[in-house]
Amino acid sequence: MADKPVYEEASIDGQPPKLASIPASDTTVWADASPLLQAACAGLRDGELIHGDNFNLFAAMSALEIMDPKMDSGIVCTYYSIDEAIENGAAPIPISLDSTIDVRCTIDIMDHLLACEAAWHKGHSLAQTVFSCIYLLRLDRTAPHALLHSYCRIIRATCKAVVSVVSDARTHEEEDLFTMTYGLPLNGDGDDKCLSILNAVEETISRQLRACKATSSKRRLPEDLEPLQSNSNLEEGFCKALLCRLRFRKHFFHVLSCMKRPQGRGLESARKHIASCLTELESILESADFLRSCFDESCEGDIDDKTTASGFEPIGFDAMLNSRLSAPTPPRAIKILSWKKAVEYFVKLLHDLDVICSYSLDPHLESLLRFVVQFQKSQPDLVARSHLQLLLVQDGKLYGRDPFFAVINKAAALPEATKNHDIQKNESFLQLGMLVMNLLKILCTNAAWQRRKLGKFLQDWRVIYVQLELAFRNEYGEVSSSSNDENTCMKIFQHILLWVEEQTYWIAFRFLILGFELELYSTGEYCMVYWYLYAVLIKLTEKTHLMMAVSHDTAKRKGKKKKDSSKDLARESRIPPAVLFLQCYICLAEGLTMMLAALRNEIPVFHSPSPFNTEHEKFVQHFELLQRACIPDHVSYPSYKESTTHARFSTLAMYNYFKDAQRIAKEVKSSFSNDPESRLGGRWGRNVPFGWIHFSSYLK
Amino acid sequence: MEVKPEEKAEIEEPEIEYVSYGGEHHLPLIMNLVDQELSEPYSIFTYRYFVYLWPQLSFLAFHKGKCVGTVVCKMGEHRNTFRGYIAMLVVIKPYRGRGIATELVTRSIRMMMESGCEEVTLEAEVTNKGALALYGRLGFIRAKRLFHYYLNGVDAFRLKLLFPPPRQVL
Repeated sequence: MADKPVYEEASIDGQPPKLASIPASDTTVWADASPLLQAACAGLRDGELIHGDNFNLFAAMSALEIMDPKMDSGIVCTYYSIDEAIENGAAPIPISLDSTIDVRCTIDIMDHLLACEAAWHKGHSLAQTVFSCIYLLRLDRTAPHALLHSYCRIIRATCKAVVSVVSDARTHEEEDLFTMTYGLPLNGDGDDKCLSILNAVEETISRQLRACKATSSKRRLPEDLEPLQSNSNLEEGFCKALLCRLRFRKHFFHVLSCMKRPQGRGLESARKHIASCLTELESILESADFLRSCFDESCEGDIDDKTTASGFEPIGFDAMLNSRLSAPTPPRAIKILSWKKAVEYFVKLLHDLDVICSYSLDPHLESLLRFVVQFQKSQPDLVARSHLQLLLVQDGKLYGRDPFFAVINKAAALPEATKNHDIQKNESFLQLGMLVMNLLKILCTNAAWQRRKLGKFLQDWRVIYVQLELAFRNEYGEVSSSSNDENTCMKIFQHILLWVEEQTYWIAFRFLILGFELELYSTGEYCMVYWYLYAVLIKLTEKTHLMMAVSHDTAKRKGKKKKDSSKDLARESRIPPAVLFLQCYICLAEGLTMMLAALRNEIPVFHSPSPFNTEHEKFVQHFELLQRACIPDHVSYPSYKESTTHARFSTLAMYNYFKDAQRIAKEVKSSFSNDPESRLGGRWGRNVPFGWIHFSSYLK
Repeated sequence: MEVKPEEKAEIEEPEIEYVSYGGEHHLPLIMNLVDQELSEPYSIFTYRYFVYLWPQLSFLAFHKGKCVGTVVCKMGEHRNTFRGYIAMLVVIKPYRGRGIATELVTRSIRMMMESGCEEVTLEAEVTNKGALALYGRLGFIRAKRLFHYYLNGVDAFRLKLLFPPPRQVL
C-alpha cells in the first residue's frame, strides 16, 4: 500500500495543494510521461481528433477538461476528503470551549441544516445540501456533544424517512436528484431510538430552563444541574431557542411516522403534530431577535439572506466534499435557501400535509378527483404530493381499503350488490382498474409531467373502451337476455362503458385546461384551444347527462323512500346541476372562441402569419394526442376553420353566450343551496367559473 | 432583452454580414461568444460535434469584422422523424433588439427545411420572454413544459416548429 501522500500548505493564491511526493511501492513504478504528452501535442493539427472505433464526436462531448473549474469536480475545493477537513479543524467537537459560543454555534448548525433540508426538498441533491454537514457525515464522533449528536441523529432519520416516501411514490418524475443517496451515510445503527435520545436532551434543557427561571425568582436551584451555558443573562433565551428547535424536529418526525400508517389510520394524530410543528416554527422565528442581539459583534451582509437566525455563518459545512456524489453533472455551486425562506417552505409543507390529513377518504371517485384537482391548485411540492399519492394508492387499493372494481362500480352508479361480481376477473376489467389507479398517481404529479402523461393516457382509455365494447358485443350482441345474471352483466357493461367515456372526456378536458396553467398556449392560439374545449365539453356534458340519468334510474330501483314526492317529480324533470355547470362552461368556451375569432377576422394585427408554417400545423401539434385517440370524433382543422371564419363583432349572438353563462351559473348556485342531495356537481364542486364570466363581461 | 441606450451599438442594417460556418478559424469566435453569454460549460468537443457534422447549419453574424452573434444547430433522425435542433443562439448585448438573432435562426431553419427536416425543436427558459417571442413569431409552439429543467430551478418550454407537408407537384 502506498504511504499517505504528503500535502504542502495551500498557497496564498488559492491554488490547490500540490503533492510533495507520491512514493512508489512494491507494485507501482512511476515514470514521467511529460515527453510523451509533449510529442503527442505536436502530433495533431488544430481540429484533428483521435478517432477510435467506439469513440466518435458524440462520445467526445462527454469529455471533461481537467482543471477547468466549470467541469472538474476536484478542482475547487478546500479539502480533498472528509478526514482532511476534520484534521484541519473544520468541524470541531466541542465547537467552542466557551459554552455560550458553543450553544450559539450549535443553534446556527441547526438553522443551517433546516435551510439545507428545504433546499433539498426544492430540488437539489442531498449530498450538496443536508450532507454538506461534516458532523452528519461522521455522526459517531459527535457522541460527546449530546445536543449536536441527538439533533444530527434525528435529521438523518428524518431524511431517510422522506427519501423512503418519495421513492415509494415514484412521483419524483424529473426530480430524480431527490432520491439519490449513493455513498451517503443515511442508515445509522440505533436511529430508531433517535426520538428517545432527543427526548432526553429536551428533558435536560427543560430542567435548565426551569432552573434559570427559579434563580430569577430567587428560589433554590437544584445543585446537581449544570446550566446550559455560562452567561446567566442569556440562559433563558438560549434554552427557549433550543427547545422550540428540538420540539419542531420531534413533532415533524411524528408527522412522517403517523402519515405512514396504512389506510390513513394515523391522519388525525398527524394533524395534532402538524399543529405543534407550526407552533414551534412560530417560536423559532421569534427566537431570531434574541439570537441576533446576544453578541456585540454584528454580522455583515443582509440578514434576510442568511441561513441562520443569528446571522452568523455556521461552522462545520462544506458542500464540495461530496461533489463527486452529488449528481452525474459537472459540479455547480447551489444556493441554499435563506433561513427565513426555509421556515416559510416548512410552513407551506405543513399546511399542504394538513390538507391531506383532513381529507375524509371519500369512497366516491368524483369527490376524490375534485379534491386532488383542488389540492394541486396550491402547487404543493414533491414531498407533499408523494404523501398524497401514497395515501390514495396502497396495496393496489384505494386508500389501501377499497378494491378498484368496487370504486368503479360506485362511480358508474351500479347497485352495491354488483361490486363483488365475478366479471371483475375479466381481463378488461382488471386493466380498467389499473387505469384508474394510474390516473390517481398521475394526478398527484407536478402539472408539467401530469399533462404529458394525461395526453398519452387518453390512448389507453380509448383502447379499453374499444376492448370493453368488443367484449360486450361478443357476449350479448343485440339479444335481450333471459337470465338474471346475464342481465346483471349486461348492465355492468353498459354502465361502465358509459362511465369510461365520461372519464375519458374528463381527462381530455383536464389536459386542455392544464395547458393554460402551464402557459403552453400563446395568445394567438387561444381561439383554437377554446374551440377544442368547446367540442370536448359538448361530449362530456352529453355523457355526464346520460350518466346522471342511469344513476337516477338505479336510485329509483333501489326503492329509496323519498319523503317529498312532489319535489322528486320536479327533480326528475330538471337538468341536474352538474350538467348545468358544464353547460355554463360550454357557453363560455363558445363565447370566447367567437370573440377571439372575430378579433382575428376583423383586426389585421391579430393575424400574423409565420414564415415557416400556418395555423394548421399549430392545430395539429397542439391536439395531436386528442386527435390520435379520436377525442372527439369528427373534429379537425377544417371544421375549426368552418366554425370561425365568419365570426364578426356585428354578430350579436356572441354576447348571448356570456349572458347565458351568467344565468346558468346563478341557477346552479341556487340549486346547490336548495338541493344538497343532488350529485353535487360531482367532480366540478363549487368551482363556478365566475372569473371567466367577469372577464367576458368586462370585455363587452 | 433590455439594453441601455448608451450601450447600443450604432449600426446600419445592411452592415451586418451573415456567414455560414467556414472552418476551424470560426470555431474560437463561436466558443468565445457562447462561453461569454451562456452559463453551460461546454468543452471544445461539444462545439466540434456540432460544427463538424453540420457545418451548413451554423451561422455567424459580423459587424465591421467583429463577430456579434452565432447560431449552432444539428439535425437527425429522432423516433422516426427527421428533426432539426437549435443548440445555441447568442447575440452580444449591444447588438440585441435588431433582429440579428431572428435572421441567424431563420437561415438555419431554412437550411433544415431544404435538407428535409420535418420539424425543428429547442428548449428555452420559461422566463426568457425574448426567445419565446422570437420563436413564436417564426411558428414554434410550446409543446411541453419541463419542470425544474435548469439547475436554478427554472422550468423550460420545449419549443417545436412543424413544417407543412411538402407540396405535391401536380
